[in-house]
Amino acid sequence: MNCLEFRRRLGSEPASKMGAFVAHREECVHCAGAQYRADEFEGRIHRAISVAAPLNLADRILLAQTTETRHSARNQRRGWIAFSIAAAASIVVAFVAVQRPSPNMPALAGMVFEHLQEHVVSAVDSDMAIPKQSVIEAFAERGINLASVPDGINYVHKCPAGPYETVHMIMPEHGVAVSVVYVVDKSSAHRTDFSHDGLRGREIPLGKGSLVMWATASADFDAIESSWKSVMGESIALEPGSVPVVSGSRGVLSGSSVYRAALAAP
Amino acid sequence: MKPVSASMSSRQHQFEALVRGHSTDLYRYAYWLCGQDALAQDLVQDTFLRAWRALDKLREVGAVKAWLITILRREHARLFERKAMPSDDIDDLDLPDPQATPERRTEESALRQAIAKLDPKYREPLVLQVLGGFTCAEIAEQLGLGEAAVMTQLFRARQKLKGQLGFEDQTAEVSEL
Repeated sequence: MNCLEFRRRLGSEPASKMGAFVAHREECVHCAGAQYRADEFEGRIHRAISVAAPLNLADRILLAQTTETRHSARNQRRGWIAFSIAAAASIVVAFVAVQRPSPNMPALAGMVFEHLQEHVVSAVDSDMAIPKQSVIEAFAERGINLASVPDGINYVHKCPAGPYETVHMIMPEHGVAVSVVYVVDKSSAHRTDFSHDGLRGREIPLGKGSLVMWATASADFDAIESSWKSVMGESIALEPGSVPVVSGSRGVLSGSSVYRAALAAP
Repeated sequence: MKPVSASMSSRQHQFEALVRGHSTDLYRYAYWLCGQDALAQDLVQDTFLRAWRALDKLREVGAVKAWLITILRREHARLFERKAMPSDDIDDLDLPDPQATPERRTEESALRQAIAKLDPKYREPLVLQVLGGFTCAEIAEQLGLGEAAVMTQLFRARQKLKGQLGFEDQTAEVSEL
Protein backbone atom coordinates (compact mmCIF):
# COMPACT_ATOMS: atom_id res chain seq x y z
CA MET A 1 0.00 0.00 0.00
CA ASN A 2 1.39 3.46 -0.90
CA CYS A 3 0.68 6.75 0.83
CA LEU A 4 -2.16 7.72 -1.51
CA GLU A 5 -3.93 4.44 -0.95
CA PHE A 6 -3.34 4.76 2.78
CA ARG A 7 -4.82 8.27 2.91
CA ARG A 8 -7.84 7.20 0.91
CA ARG A 9 -8.45 4.30 3.26
CA LEU A 10 -7.81 6.60 6.23
CA GLY A 11 -10.39 9.05 4.96
CA SER A 12 -13.04 6.36 4.59
CA GLU A 13 -12.16 3.86 7.34
CA PRO A 14 -9.74 5.30 9.90
CA ALA A 15 -10.09 2.31 12.24
CA SER A 16 -9.31 -0.20 9.51
CA LYS A 17 -7.47 -3.33 10.69
CA MET A 18 -6.43 -4.26 7.15
CA GLY A 19 -2.91 -5.74 7.18
CA ALA A 20 -1.50 -3.53 4.41
CA PHE A 21 -2.99 -0.44 6.02
CA VAL A 22 -1.47 -1.20 9.42
CA ALA A 23 1.89 -2.14 7.85
CA HIS A 24 2.12 1.15 5.90
CA ARG A 25 1.40 3.15 9.02
CA GLU A 26 4.23 1.36 10.79
CA GLU A 27 6.75 2.31 8.14
CA CYS A 28 5.60 5.84 7.09
CA VAL A 29 6.02 8.64 9.66
CA HIS A 30 3.87 11.14 7.70
CA CYS A 31 1.00 8.71 7.37
CA ALA A 32 1.31 7.75 11.07
CA GLY A 33 0.90 11.46 11.86
CA ALA A 34 -2.12 11.66 9.60
CA GLN A 35 -3.59 8.66 11.40
CA TYR A 36 -3.05 10.42 14.73
CA ARG A 37 -4.95 13.52 13.53
CA ALA A 38 -7.62 11.36 11.97
CA ASP A 39 -8.13 9.47 15.25
CA GLU A 40 -8.48 12.75 17.09
CA PHE A 41 -11.11 13.91 14.62
CA GLU A 42 -12.86 10.53 14.84
CA GLY A 43 -13.11 11.00 18.60
CA ARG A 44 -14.90 14.31 18.03
CA ILE A 45 -17.27 12.75 15.50
CA HIS A 46 -18.00 9.89 17.89
CA ARG A 47 -18.84 12.29 20.72
CA ALA A 48 -21.04 14.36 18.43
CA ILE A 49 -22.90 11.38 17.06
CA SER A 50 -23.33 9.80 20.48
CA VAL A 51 -26.35 11.88 21.44
CA ALA A 52 -27.69 11.23 24.93
CA ALA A 53 -30.28 8.48 24.91
CA PRO A 54 -33.44 9.06 26.97
CA LEU A 55 -33.27 7.88 30.56
CA ASN A 56 -34.84 4.47 31.25
CA LEU A 57 -35.19 3.75 27.53
CA ALA A 58 -34.29 0.08 28.07
CA ASP A 59 -36.76 -0.24 30.96
CA ARG A 60 -39.54 1.28 28.89
CA ILE A 61 -38.83 -1.10 26.01
CA LEU A 62 -38.84 -4.08 28.38
CA LEU A 63 -42.11 -2.92 29.92
CA ALA A 64 -43.66 -2.62 26.45
CA GLN A 65 -42.40 -6.08 25.57
CA THR A 66 -43.72 -7.78 28.72
CA THR A 67 -47.06 -6.00 28.30
CA GLU A 68 -47.29 -7.15 24.70
CA THR A 69 -46.35 -10.70 25.72
CA ARG A 70 -49.09 -10.79 28.33
CA HIS A 71 -51.66 -9.32 25.93
CA SER A 72 -50.69 -11.83 23.32
CA ALA A 73 -50.99 -14.70 25.84
CA ARG A 74 -54.42 -13.40 26.86
CA ASN A 75 -55.49 -13.07 23.22
CA GLN A 76 -54.25 -16.60 22.61
CA ARG A 77 -56.46 -17.83 25.48
CA ARG A 78 -59.37 -15.83 24.07
CA GLY A 79 -58.63 -17.30 20.67
CA TRP A 80 -58.82 -20.77 22.18
CA ILE A 81 -62.16 -20.03 23.81
CA ALA A 82 -63.49 -18.57 20.54
CA PHE A 83 -62.15 -21.61 18.69
CA SER A 84 -63.87 -23.97 21.16
CA ILE A 85 -67.17 -22.12 20.81
CA ALA A 86 -66.85 -22.16 17.02
CA ALA A 87 -66.03 -25.88 17.09
CA ALA A 88 -69.04 -26.60 19.31
CA ALA A 89 -71.24 -24.52 17.02
CA SER A 90 -69.91 -26.42 14.02
CA ILE A 91 -70.77 -29.74 15.66
CA VAL A 92 -74.31 -28.52 16.35
CA VAL A 93 -74.67 -27.26 12.77
CA ALA A 94 -73.31 -30.55 11.44
CA PHE A 95 -75.70 -32.51 13.64
CA VAL A 96 -78.65 -30.44 12.46
CA ALA A 97 -77.47 -30.83 8.86
CA VAL A 98 -77.31 -34.63 9.29
CA GLN A 99 -80.80 -34.63 10.72
CA ARG A 100 -82.11 -32.60 7.84
CA PRO A 101 -82.96 -34.23 4.53
CA SER A 102 -79.94 -34.51 2.25
CA PRO A 103 -79.69 -32.02 -0.64
CA ASN A 104 -80.42 -34.61 -3.37
CA MET A 105 -83.62 -35.65 -1.63
CA PRO A 106 -86.74 -34.00 -3.10
CA ALA A 107 -88.49 -31.59 -0.78
CA LEU A 108 -91.67 -33.63 -0.77
CA ALA A 109 -89.82 -36.79 0.25
CA GLY A 110 -88.15 -34.72 2.99
CA MET A 111 -91.54 -33.71 4.35
CA VAL A 112 -92.64 -37.35 4.32
CA PHE A 113 -89.39 -38.33 6.06
CA GLU A 114 -90.00 -35.76 8.80
CA HIS A 115 -93.56 -37.05 9.19
CA LEU A 116 -92.24 -40.63 9.55
CA GLN A 117 -89.82 -39.46 12.25
CA GLU A 118 -92.74 -38.09 14.23
CA HIS A 119 -95.13 -40.93 13.49
CA VAL A 120 -96.42 -42.84 16.51
CA VAL A 121 -96.77 -46.21 14.68
CA SER A 122 -93.53 -47.83 13.67
CA ALA A 123 -93.36 -49.67 10.34
CA VAL A 124 -91.79 -52.72 11.96
CA ASP A 125 -94.63 -53.00 14.49
CA SER A 126 -97.26 -53.42 11.76
CA ASP A 127 -97.09 -57.04 10.63
CA MET A 128 -100.78 -57.93 10.14
CA ALA A 129 -102.58 -57.24 6.86
CA ILE A 130 -105.52 -54.90 7.21
CA PRO A 131 -108.81 -55.18 5.28
CA LYS A 132 -108.53 -53.67 1.82
CA GLN A 133 -111.75 -51.79 2.41
CA SER A 134 -109.90 -49.66 4.98
CA VAL A 135 -107.46 -48.59 2.27
CA ILE A 136 -110.26 -47.90 -0.18
CA GLU A 137 -112.02 -45.75 2.41
CA ALA A 138 -108.87 -43.85 3.35
CA PHE A 139 -108.26 -42.98 -0.30
CA ALA A 140 -111.89 -42.19 -0.82
CA GLU A 141 -111.81 -39.70 2.03
CA ARG A 142 -108.88 -38.06 0.23
CA GLY A 143 -111.06 -37.82 -2.87
CA ILE A 144 -109.59 -40.75 -4.79
CA ASN A 145 -111.41 -43.89 -5.88
CA LEU A 146 -109.30 -47.00 -6.05
CA ALA A 147 -110.48 -49.75 -8.42
CA SER A 148 -108.33 -52.20 -6.53
CA VAL A 149 -105.79 -52.30 -3.73
CA PRO A 150 -102.36 -53.97 -3.77
CA ASP A 151 -101.91 -56.94 -1.48
CA GLY A 152 -100.07 -56.82 1.83
CA ILE A 153 -100.93 -53.45 3.33
CA ASN A 154 -100.45 -53.67 7.08
CA TYR A 155 -101.39 -50.14 8.07
CA VAL A 156 -103.28 -47.20 6.66
CA HIS A 157 -103.96 -43.73 8.01
CA LYS A 158 -104.69 -40.32 6.64
CA CYS A 159 -101.71 -38.20 7.67
CA PRO A 160 -100.34 -34.75 6.84
CA ALA A 161 -96.89 -34.23 5.34
CA GLY A 162 -96.01 -30.59 5.57
CA PRO A 163 -98.92 -28.70 4.00
CA TYR A 164 -100.05 -31.72 1.95
CA GLU A 165 -102.64 -34.44 2.52
CA THR A 166 -101.50 -38.04 2.33
CA VAL A 167 -102.57 -41.63 2.75
CA HIS A 168 -99.91 -43.28 4.84
CA MET A 169 -99.48 -47.06 4.47
CA ILE A 170 -97.05 -49.77 5.48
CA MET A 171 -96.28 -52.57 3.04
CA PRO A 172 -93.87 -55.40 3.78
CA GLU A 173 -91.85 -56.46 0.75
CA HIS A 174 -89.63 -59.56 1.03
CA GLY A 175 -89.68 -59.24 4.82
CA VAL A 176 -88.79 -55.54 4.81
CA ALA A 177 -91.39 -53.05 5.99
CA VAL A 178 -91.76 -50.20 3.50
CA SER A 179 -93.49 -46.96 4.40
CA VAL A 180 -95.62 -46.01 1.41
CA VAL A 181 -97.14 -42.56 1.44
CA TYR A 182 -99.39 -41.31 -1.30
CA VAL A 183 -99.39 -37.51 -1.37
CA VAL A 184 -102.72 -36.59 -2.82
CA ASP A 185 -102.31 -32.96 -3.75
CA LYS A 186 -98.69 -32.64 -4.87
CA SER A 187 -97.32 -34.17 -8.04
CA SER A 188 -93.56 -34.86 -8.34
CA ALA A 189 -91.68 -33.54 -11.33
CA HIS A 190 -90.01 -36.88 -12.02
CA ARG A 191 -89.08 -40.25 -10.57
CA THR A 192 -86.21 -39.96 -8.10
CA ASP A 193 -84.23 -42.40 -5.98
CA PHE A 194 -82.32 -41.09 -2.97
CA SER A 195 -80.96 -42.09 0.39
CA HIS A 196 -80.83 -40.37 3.72
CA ASP A 197 -79.79 -41.26 7.24
CA GLY A 198 -79.26 -44.95 6.38
CA LEU A 199 -82.59 -45.27 4.56
CA ARG A 200 -83.40 -45.51 0.88
CA GLY A 201 -86.24 -43.60 -0.68
CA ARG A 202 -88.09 -43.24 -3.94
CA GLU A 203 -90.53 -40.61 -5.12
CA ILE A 204 -92.62 -41.08 -8.25
CA PRO A 205 -95.31 -39.00 -9.88
CA LEU A 206 -98.51 -41.04 -9.73
CA GLY A 207 -101.96 -39.94 -10.78
CA LYS A 208 -102.44 -36.36 -9.69
CA GLY A 209 -100.19 -36.88 -6.69
CA SER A 210 -96.97 -38.59 -5.75
CA LEU A 211 -96.03 -41.89 -4.20
CA VAL A 212 -93.16 -41.71 -1.72
CA MET A 213 -91.53 -44.86 -0.35
CA TRP A 214 -89.06 -45.12 2.50
CA ALA A 215 -87.36 -48.31 3.69
CA THR A 216 -84.07 -49.85 4.67
CA ALA A 217 -81.55 -50.36 1.89
CA SER A 218 -82.63 -53.82 0.80
CA ALA A 219 -86.31 -52.99 0.11
CA ASP A 220 -87.76 -53.76 -3.34
CA PHE A 221 -89.39 -50.52 -4.41
CA ASP A 222 -89.90 -51.74 -7.98
CA ALA A 223 -92.56 -54.29 -6.99
CA ILE A 224 -94.49 -51.77 -4.90
CA GLU A 225 -94.21 -49.09 -7.59
CA SER A 226 -95.45 -51.52 -10.19
CA SER A 227 -98.45 -52.60 -8.11
CA TRP A 228 -99.45 -49.01 -7.34
CA LYS A 229 -99.10 -47.92 -10.97
CA SER A 230 -101.36 -50.77 -11.91
CA VAL A 231 -103.93 -49.83 -9.27
CA MET A 232 -103.87 -46.13 -10.01
CA GLY A 233 -104.31 -46.79 -13.70
CA GLU A 234 -107.73 -48.14 -12.86
CA SER A 235 -108.57 -45.34 -10.45
CA ILE A 236 -110.86 -42.41 -10.96
CA ALA A 237 -111.66 -39.42 -8.82
CA LEU A 238 -114.67 -39.74 -6.56
CA GLU A 239 -117.71 -37.59 -6.17
CA PRO A 240 -117.31 -36.02 -2.73
CA GLY A 241 -119.00 -38.15 -0.04
CA SER A 242 -119.06 -41.37 -2.12
CA VAL A 243 -117.27 -44.51 -0.90
CA PRO A 244 -116.57 -47.39 -3.28
CA VAL A 245 -116.69 -51.04 -2.22
CA VAL A 246 -114.11 -53.69 -2.97
CA SER A 247 -115.20 -57.13 -4.08
CA GLY A 248 -112.74 -60.00 -4.23
CA SER A 249 -109.02 -60.00 -3.59
CA ARG A 250 -108.16 -57.46 -6.32
CA GLY A 251 -111.29 -55.43 -5.70
CA VAL A 252 -114.01 -54.50 -8.20
CA LEU A 253 -115.71 -51.17 -8.25
CA SER A 254 -119.42 -51.03 -7.76
CA GLY A 255 -121.54 -48.11 -8.78
CA SER A 256 -118.89 -46.80 -11.12
CA SER A 257 -121.42 -44.42 -12.70
CA VAL A 258 -121.06 -42.10 -9.72
CA TYR A 259 -117.38 -41.44 -10.58
CA ARG A 260 -116.68 -38.44 -12.67
CA ALA A 261 -113.20 -38.65 -14.07
CA ALA A 262 -110.49 -41.16 -14.41
CA LEU A 263 -107.09 -40.59 -12.79
CA ALA A 264 -104.39 -40.52 -15.38
CA ALA A 265 -101.67 -43.07 -15.00
CA PRO A 266 -98.14 -41.63 -15.05
CA MET B 1 -43.88 -9.84 37.33
CA LYS B 2 -43.69 -13.58 36.98
CA PRO B 3 -42.42 -15.06 33.73
CA VAL B 4 -45.10 -16.56 31.51
CA SER B 5 -43.41 -19.93 31.69
CA ALA B 6 -40.09 -21.50 32.60
CA SER B 7 -39.01 -21.76 28.96
CA MET B 8 -39.92 -18.11 28.41
CA SER B 9 -37.66 -17.10 31.24
CA SER B 10 -34.33 -17.84 29.53
CA ARG B 11 -35.61 -16.23 26.32
CA GLN B 12 -36.65 -13.23 28.38
CA HIS B 13 -33.19 -12.98 29.93
CA GLN B 14 -31.58 -13.13 26.51
CA PHE B 15 -33.88 -10.39 25.31
CA GLU B 16 -33.20 -8.21 28.33
CA ALA B 17 -29.47 -8.49 27.68
CA LEU B 18 -30.06 -7.40 24.08
CA VAL B 19 -32.11 -4.40 25.09
CA ARG B 20 -29.73 -3.24 27.79
CA GLY B 21 -26.70 -3.79 25.57
CA HIS B 22 -27.94 -2.18 22.36
CA SER B 23 -30.82 0.20 23.03
CA THR B 24 -28.61 3.27 23.41
CA ASP B 25 -26.69 2.79 20.16
CA LEU B 26 -29.88 1.83 18.39
CA TYR B 27 -31.57 5.00 19.64
CA ARG B 28 -28.64 7.08 18.40
CA TYR B 29 -28.76 5.42 15.01
CA ALA B 30 -32.54 5.92 14.85
CA TYR B 31 -32.13 9.53 15.86
CA TRP B 32 -29.66 10.26 13.05
CA LEU B 33 -31.91 8.36 10.68
CA CYS B 34 -35.14 10.24 11.38
CA GLY B 35 -33.97 13.36 13.23
CA GLN B 36 -36.70 13.29 15.85
CA ASP B 37 -36.35 12.21 19.46
CA ALA B 38 -39.88 10.81 19.97
CA LEU B 39 -39.91 9.06 16.62
CA ALA B 40 -36.49 7.58 17.30
CA GLN B 41 -37.73 6.17 20.61
CA ASP B 42 -40.76 4.65 18.88
CA LEU B 43 -38.56 3.16 16.19
CA VAL B 44 -36.25 1.58 18.76
CA GLN B 45 -39.19 0.18 20.73
CA ASP B 46 -40.82 -1.23 17.58
CA THR B 47 -37.48 -2.68 16.53
CA PHE B 48 -37.04 -4.51 19.81
CA LEU B 49 -40.63 -5.76 19.84
CA ARG B 50 -40.13 -7.16 16.37
CA ALA B 51 -36.80 -8.62 17.47
CA TRP B 52 -38.54 -10.28 20.44
CA ARG B 53 -41.01 -11.98 18.15
CA ALA B 54 -38.21 -13.14 15.84
CA LEU B 55 -35.65 -13.93 18.54
CA ASP B 56 -35.67 -17.64 17.71
CA LYS B 57 -34.40 -16.80 14.23
CA LEU B 58 -31.26 -15.18 15.63
CA ARG B 59 -28.57 -17.82 15.17
CA GLU B 60 -25.34 -15.80 15.22
CA VAL B 61 -24.98 -13.85 18.45
CA GLY B 62 -22.00 -11.93 17.03
CA ALA B 63 -24.19 -10.46 14.30
CA VAL B 64 -26.88 -9.22 16.66
CA LYS B 65 -26.09 -5.53 16.20
CA ALA B 66 -26.27 -5.77 12.41
CA TRP B 67 -29.50 -7.78 12.80
CA LEU B 68 -31.08 -5.12 15.01
CA ILE B 69 -29.99 -2.32 12.69
CA THR B 70 -31.51 -4.17 9.73
CA ILE B 71 -34.80 -4.45 11.62
CA LEU B 72 -34.68 -0.78 12.53
CA ARG B 73 -33.99 0.30 8.96
CA ARG B 74 -36.99 -1.75 7.79
CA GLU B 75 -39.21 -0.24 10.49
CA HIS B 76 -38.06 3.20 9.38
CA ALA B 77 -38.79 2.35 5.74
CA ARG B 78 -42.29 1.15 6.73
CA LEU B 79 -42.84 4.42 8.53
CA PHE B 80 -41.80 6.29 5.40
CA GLU B 81 -44.24 4.24 3.35
CA ARG B 82 -47.09 5.28 5.64
CA LYS B 83 -46.27 8.98 5.70
CA ALA B 84 -43.65 11.33 4.36
CA MET B 85 -41.19 12.13 7.12
CA PRO B 86 -39.80 15.64 7.51
CA SER B 87 -36.07 15.39 7.05
CA ASP B 88 -35.06 18.87 8.11
CA ASP B 89 -36.10 18.53 11.78
CA ILE B 90 -32.63 17.24 12.50
CA ASP B 91 -31.39 20.83 12.06
CA ASP B 92 -32.95 21.65 15.44
CA LEU B 93 -30.67 19.13 17.07
CA ASP B 94 -29.52 20.12 20.53
CA LEU B 95 -28.82 17.24 22.86
CA PRO B 96 -25.74 18.32 24.80
CA ASP B 97 -23.73 15.96 26.95
CA PRO B 98 -24.33 17.27 30.51
CA GLN B 99 -20.80 16.28 31.57
CA ALA B 100 -19.00 18.11 28.76
CA THR B 101 -17.17 21.41 29.34
CA PRO B 102 -18.71 24.56 27.79
CA GLU B 103 -15.96 24.62 25.11
CA ARG B 104 -16.56 21.02 24.18
CA ARG B 105 -20.32 21.58 24.17
CA THR B 106 -19.91 24.32 21.62
CA GLU B 107 -17.64 22.19 19.47
CA GLU B 108 -19.94 19.16 19.69
CA SER B 109 -22.94 21.28 18.91
CA ALA B 110 -21.22 22.67 15.80
CA LEU B 111 -20.18 19.19 14.70
CA ARG B 112 -23.70 17.85 15.26
CA GLN B 113 -25.10 20.64 13.16
CA ALA B 114 -22.58 19.77 10.48
CA ILE B 115 -23.48 16.07 10.62
CA ALA B 116 -27.16 16.96 10.51
CA LYS B 117 -26.59 19.00 7.37
CA LEU B 118 -24.93 16.10 5.60
CA ASP B 119 -26.89 14.48 2.81
CA PRO B 120 -28.43 11.25 4.21
CA LYS B 121 -26.42 9.19 1.71
CA TYR B 122 -23.24 10.47 3.45
CA ARG B 123 -24.61 10.62 6.98
CA GLU B 124 -26.01 7.09 7.22
CA PRO B 125 -22.81 5.16 6.43
CA LEU B 126 -20.88 7.50 8.69
CA VAL B 127 -23.24 6.89 11.62
CA LEU B 128 -23.19 3.15 10.97
CA GLN B 129 -19.39 3.17 10.99
CA VAL B 130 -18.96 5.35 14.06
CA LEU B 131 -21.73 3.82 16.17
CA GLY B 132 -21.70 0.25 14.92
CA GLY B 133 -17.97 -0.11 14.25
CA PHE B 134 -18.83 -1.74 10.93
CA THR B 135 -16.28 -2.08 8.13
CA CYS B 136 -16.94 -0.61 4.69
CA ALA B 137 -17.83 -4.09 3.43
CA GLU B 138 -20.36 -4.61 6.23
CA ILE B 139 -21.92 -1.19 5.66
CA ALA B 140 -22.11 -1.92 1.94
CA GLU B 141 -24.03 -5.10 2.75
CA GLN B 142 -26.37 -3.28 5.14
CA LEU B 143 -27.16 -0.55 2.64
CA GLY B 144 -27.18 -2.76 -0.43
CA LEU B 145 -24.37 -0.81 -2.07
CA GLY B 146 -20.96 -1.62 -3.45
CA GLU B 147 -17.98 -1.38 -1.10
CA ALA B 148 -16.22 1.18 -3.32
CA ALA B 149 -19.33 3.39 -3.29
CA VAL B 150 -19.47 3.23 0.50
CA MET B 151 -15.78 4.11 0.78
CA THR B 152 -16.33 7.15 -1.43
CA GLN B 153 -19.37 8.26 0.59
CA LEU B 154 -17.47 7.93 3.86
CA PHE B 155 -14.48 9.79 2.52
CA ARG B 156 -16.66 12.61 1.23
CA ALA B 157 -18.67 12.72 4.47
CA ARG B 158 -15.50 13.41 6.45
CA GLN B 159 -14.29 15.93 3.89
CA LYS B 160 -17.57 17.81 4.10
CA LEU B 161 -17.52 17.85 7.90
CA LYS B 162 -13.99 19.19 7.97
CA GLY B 163 -14.90 21.70 5.32
CA GLN B 164 -17.82 22.97 7.38
CA LEU B 165 -15.76 23.17 10.54
CA GLY B 166 -12.70 24.69 8.89
CA PHE B 167 -10.45 21.62 9.21
CA GLU B 168 -8.88 21.50 5.79
CA ASP B 169 -5.66 19.70 6.78
CA GLN B 170 -6.36 16.10 5.78
CA THR B 171 -8.19 17.02 2.59
CA ALA B 172 -5.28 19.22 1.64
CA GLU B 173 -2.84 16.48 2.48
CA VAL B 174 -4.67 13.98 0.28
CA SER B 175 -4.97 16.50 -2.52
CA GLU B 176 -1.25 17.11 -2.36
CA LEU B 177 -0.44 13.39 -2.64
